[in-house]
Formats: sequence, C-alpha cells, structure tokens
Amino acid sequence: MPDRIDQSIEITRRRFLAGSAMAGFAAFLAACGTQGQGSQAPSTGPETPGPTTTVAATEGPTATGGGTLNFANWIGYIDVSDDNKTHPTLDKFTKETGIAVNYQEAVDDNETFFTSDLQGPLGANLSTGWDIVVVTDWMVARLVRLGWLETINTANTPNFPTNLLEQYHGRSFDPDTNLAAPWQSGMTGIGFDKKKTGDLSSLNVFWDTKYKGKMTYLTEMRDTVGLAAIKLGVEPNTITQAQFDQSIAEIKKAVDAKIVRQLQGNSYVDSMASGDVIVAMAWSGDVLTLLVPDQTENQDFQWALPTEGGMLWTDNQVIPKGAEHKGQAEIWINFYYAPENAAAVEAFVNYVCPIKGAREILASDPDIANNPLIFPTDDMVARLHQFKALDATEEQAWSSAFASVAGF
Amino acid sequence: MERPRLRRLAPYLLLLPGLGWLLLFYVYPAVQMFVVSLWTGNITEGYQMTWNWGIYQQGVSTYWPFIVRSAEYGGLATILAFALGYPLAYTIAFKGGAYKNVLLFLVIAPFFTSFLLRTLSWKIILADNGLVLGPLKSAGLLSEDFRLLATPAAVVAGITYNFLPFMTLPLYVALEKVDVRLLEAARDLYAGPWRPGGTIVGAAVGAVIVALVSLILEVNPLVPAVIGGVLGAVVGTFLISEAFVRVTLPLSLPGVFAGSLLTFIPAVGDFINAELLGNPQSQMIGNVIQARFLKITDYPMASALSFILMAAIIVGVLVYARVLGTEELTGGST
Repeated sequence: MPDRIDQSIEITRRRFLAGSAMAGFAAFLAACGTQGQGSQAPSTGPETPGPTTTVAATEGPTATGGGTLNFANWIGYIDVSDDNKTHPTLDKFTKETGIAVNYQEAVDDNETFFTSDLQGPLGANLSTGWDIVVVTDWMVARLVRLGWLETINTANTPNFPTNLLEQYHGRSFDPDTNLAAPWQSGMTGIGFDKKKTGDLSSLNVFWDTKYKGKMTYLTEMRDTVGLAAIKLGVEPNTITQAQFDQSIAEIKKAVDAKIVRQLQGNSYVDSMASGDVIVAMAWSGDVLTLLVPDQTENQDFQWALPTEGGMLWTDNQVIPKGAEHKGQAEIWINFYYAPENAAAVEAFVNYVCPIKGAREILASDPDIANNPLIFPTDDMVARLHQFKALDATEEQAWSSAFASVAGF
Repeated sequence: MERPRLRRLAPYLLLLPGLGWLLLFYVYPAVQMFVVSLWTGNITEGYQMTWNWGIYQQGVSTYWPFIVRSAEYGGLATILAFALGYPLAYTIAFKGGAYKNVLLFLVIAPFFTSFLLRTLSWKIILADNGLVLGPLKSAGLLSEDFRLLATPAAVVAGITYNFLPFMTLPLYVALEKVDVRLLEAARDLYAGPWRPGGTIVGAAVGAVIVALVSLILEVNPLVPAVIGGVLGAVVGTFLISEAFVRVTLPLSLPGVFAGSLLTFIPAVGDFINAELLGNPQSQMIGNVIQARFLKITDYPMASALSFILMAAIIVGVLVYARVLGTEELTGGST
C-alpha cells in the first residue's frame, strides 16, 4: 500500500496524543479532520493511529519494500544507540527494506492500551493505525477471542515460526503459531537493594514485616496473584477459584499489615532508585536495564528468581485487524526473527530471548550468553510458572477481586 | 421592525457557542455514560441494555467507604487550602502594593507545569531519605522508618497544593473589592485592633484545623496541633481585628463560597494524588472509577459510580449553599 501522507506533518499530533488514556477518542476526532489526499477514503497517516473507515483486506499484498510500519511497543524494549537518539536495529531495517518505522513507546500497560488504542476502532470495524502492537499473552488471548487479530501469512516470513524456540509453538491461544510472534519473555521475581537487604531468595520476603512500608507489589494481577499462589504451593497454571481466593487472602494479609507500601506498575523502578523501596515484585530485565545504569555507591540492585518459583510471561508482536501495512509488518517480523537482529535487541534489553540461534551469535560476549536473565538455566526454567488462561467472566471477576485487595 | 427582534435574539445568540460546547462535550457524553451504566455484559461477549438499575444500589453499598473517604480528603484539602489561601489572598489584596501582580503571578506559577509533573516532583522532594526527610532523619529528629510518601497525609497535602490557586484567586477577587473606606469608618467607630483576642482566636482555629486533619489521617494530633496553634496565633494577631470580623470577613464570603467549591469539587474526584502519593489504604473514589474503566473494563460500574459521585457532590453543594445562604452565592452582599 503506497504511503499517502507526508509523515512529518503528523508527528506532533501523535506525540501530543501519546500516553493519554483518551488518545483513542481524540485520535478518532483527529482522524475525522484529516481527509486523505485525493480520492482515498479518510486515511490514517503514518503517525496517527486513528481509525479509518476502511478495513484492509486480510490477504493484503506482500509489500516488497518501501512504505511505513507503525509500531507500538513498551518503554525500554528495544536497543538504543549510545546517544539515546536512535534505535540501531530499526535503522538497519529501514536501510535494508526501505520501510520507514514509526516506533512509539505507546504501551504503558495492557489494559490501558487496550482501552485507549484498540477497543474503540476495532470494536467499530476500523483500523487502529498500528501495524505491530506488542502485548502480553493474556491480552493476545483476549484479542484472539474477539477476532481482532490478522493472521501472519507465514509464507511471507521464512524466519517465523521457523526460528521460534519450540516451547512457544502451538500455545493455547495461537494453536497454529500464526497470530502472535513472541517479542521477549520475562520473569517476575524479587527485585531488591542488596546493600540494605542482603541476599534474598525466598518468596516469604514479600510477607516479612522487617520490610514493612519499604516494599511494593505489582499492579499486574497475574504477577502478584501468581507469586502469592506459588508461595502457597499452588500451581498458577491450574489455579482454581478456591485457590485464587486463598492467594488473594494471602495478599490481603500483607496489605492490611501495611507491609505493602504501594502497588505499582513499571514505576517501582523509580521508587527503588530513590531508596523508598528496597524490596519489590520485579520484572527480570528492568533491574538490569533501567536501574543499573544509575547505580550509585550505596545501591546494589539485584533481581532473583525465588527458590519457590516465579512467573513467566511473554510479550508478543501481533497485527491488529485491518492494519494498513500488514505486508510491512510481516517483513518486520521476518527481519526480527533473523537471529542476528534479535541478538542485537537482546544485548540491550536483558529479557528472555525467544529466538533460536541468538545465543550462539551472542556467544562472543560471554557476559550476555551466560546471563541467566536472557538465557535462563534449566534449573530456572523448571521453576517458572505461567498464569492460567482466563475466560472473559473469570478475567473480570478476578481482576475485580484483585483491585479490591489493592485498595480500589 | 428588524432591530427589536434581533435585540431579543442577541442573548440567545451569545449563549449559543457555550451551550453548544456543553451539549457536545458534557451533555452528550453524560447521557451516553448514563446509558452505559445500565448495560450488563463484558468486553469480549459484548454488552446488552438490561436497564440494570440495581447497579446504582450495588455501587453505593460496595463503594460507599470510598465516597466517604474522598469527601473527607477533599474536605480536609479545602479547609487547609482556605487556611493557607485566606491570609495569602488578604496580604496580596491589602498589603501587596506595587507587588500585587507579581505575587498573583507567583500564586498561579505552578499551573505552568503539568499537574502530573508537579505531583511527581513531590515524590522526589518527600522521598524517605530525600531533600526534606533525609536531613531530619540524620539529625535524629525523626525515626528511621518515618515517611510522608504513601500515606493519607501525603494525599491530602498533594491535593491541597494542587488546588490552592483555585482557592486563593476567588478569595483575592472578593477581598480586593472590599472598600478600604469601610474599614476606616469601622475604626472610627471604635472597631480597633483586637490584639489578645485575635491571637487567641487564630491559635484556636489553627490548632483545631490541624488537630482535625491529624485525627482523620490517624496521626497523633498533639505535636501538629501545637504547630498549627502557633502558626494560627501569628496569622490571627495580624489578621483578626474587630473591623475584620465585622467588615472584611462578611464581605469576602462570596469568595469563600466560590473558592471552596472550586477546590472541593475537583478534589473529591481527584485520583492522581492518591495514586502517586497514597497507599492501598488511601485510595479515593476516582481511583476506583479509573480502575473500573481502564483495568477491569467494567464500564457499567465505572459509569454508574461517576453518576453516584456527581449526585453526591450536587447534594453536598446544595446543602452547603443552603447553610451559607444563597445570597452569598450570587454575590448579593456586595
């Protein structure tokens, strides 16, 4: 599909909208005002993820180069050049394929992104303006349930799923492995300030009154409930309603005893940096990528997978229904699944790499190839759990129960 | 006979832009939200209109504590903003002299920064070992595990700070209009300074306000009350005279009314301060609504709670207007 709008015009609007929970609605209004040039129906500029009235054919033509890719990802989730200005992997992609990438750190948390960017347009059969969106497993499952994803035409992607590690094939929400291409996996465990706490390895620390008021839990229900379940000896992958209730009660104990200072999303990183929080339920890559660069003398941030076990989750690249540049999205997925490209991202983000061959490429740097956060040891893999897939009713009831224990 | 007709129409024409704006951006979404509140269903299976009026009763019974807490925090913030804002506005209006405009500018200066950033900066300033608490702790004045962040006190303080200009500006406008000659006349009629009385009243008001705040926030009220009393005494000594009680204060009541509403209403619905500065024990109704909308995708309950909050505020404001007298509402006393 040819690129129709000069992208420079649109940048400011996109920036302006980014991060706002009302972005979906605002973008809808904005899109009403931007008529495409010439004959085409109201068009979505490359920088405006506003809905359009046209839903592209599912069997979109394979782009051979050129065009744009609108890419929504999480913060700190791709390699950055030394001057913090560009993303080398994206530059390489553009150079090789001629496809410009509009890369935005637009996903702050799954639910908020769903509400602001996906639900409005997709619910009305419009395109979201995004071509690649990175969301967590359970959100992929919801999007599949709603029929809001494009199928990745694997004939166009020789590297995917060929280079995808075996354990990611045929997941319950994606039996044919053609809806979601894993971006990174991560683990949820204990983040701590070693200077103040010493070495930590047990989940019991999250109920330890010694750290009262100096500890945060995560706002992601599956992480916090998952860890509580593991602490109780419950397998999160098969957790029943009764076991869920027990886990919630366990969390409530710590909240009521005011051991838990706050429940936070990614901002727990800032609280650890300022010293307000010394123990946190934390995501594996964050502690290294976001905290260590600022590490000062009296700080010693560590991340540990609890001996009892931790949570494993995967963030996936998906193509929302009606994406205007589906062909370009497939070219990107194919590019990312080339081990040398995945390796370049991996070396920066410190999360678990789902792509075959990346480790061999990174072997030249033993620090990375032997980094258990990127390539977990077999012993760690055995201790990782995934959260059960929930149906719509369960999902709402459980997140509601979790919200009430979290104080709202 | 064209002109009289046009003249009759003029007020309506002038109303049109504002009315249109309200219809499009307030009435229409409000009606739609009301409709949503009566739906049942969920995001994946879709929603049906079931005229589920029960949700309002369910919302009130489940979330009543949050509404009460929000009213408490909003009310406290309003009282604190008044206690801070009144002397401030008074000083600018009567003693500001050539610096009036500069001082007013300083009052609204924080508004040039985003609300979110201003609140986030509190996290840095009030960090457990940060700029303020760090030195106090190392000097041994505070215990090691004392903290301000993630407490109800931080939430109320944050709201007070963020909405202070909404209180100060209407107070200033009201005080600025007070005719100085009335005060001179009052003094001529022996309404002179009221030194011991003013000090005592100031101390009492200061101590009571701060003790009240401490009690609701579950802090030991003794030390804060003493501090509040001292501050109140200082302010009272200079502010409160007989002329003030009989002339200035009554004339400034429209400002008090407007300022307290402008502070209280947004404060009750605020969620940013509770989210960033609060803990699980200090979340407000705004946080519940936000979580229902964005995290749980329970749109009917979120919409219903928005309406319940709106209704509660309207009732509260009507009662308040009744108590303070409707004349002040319309500025009838000036």
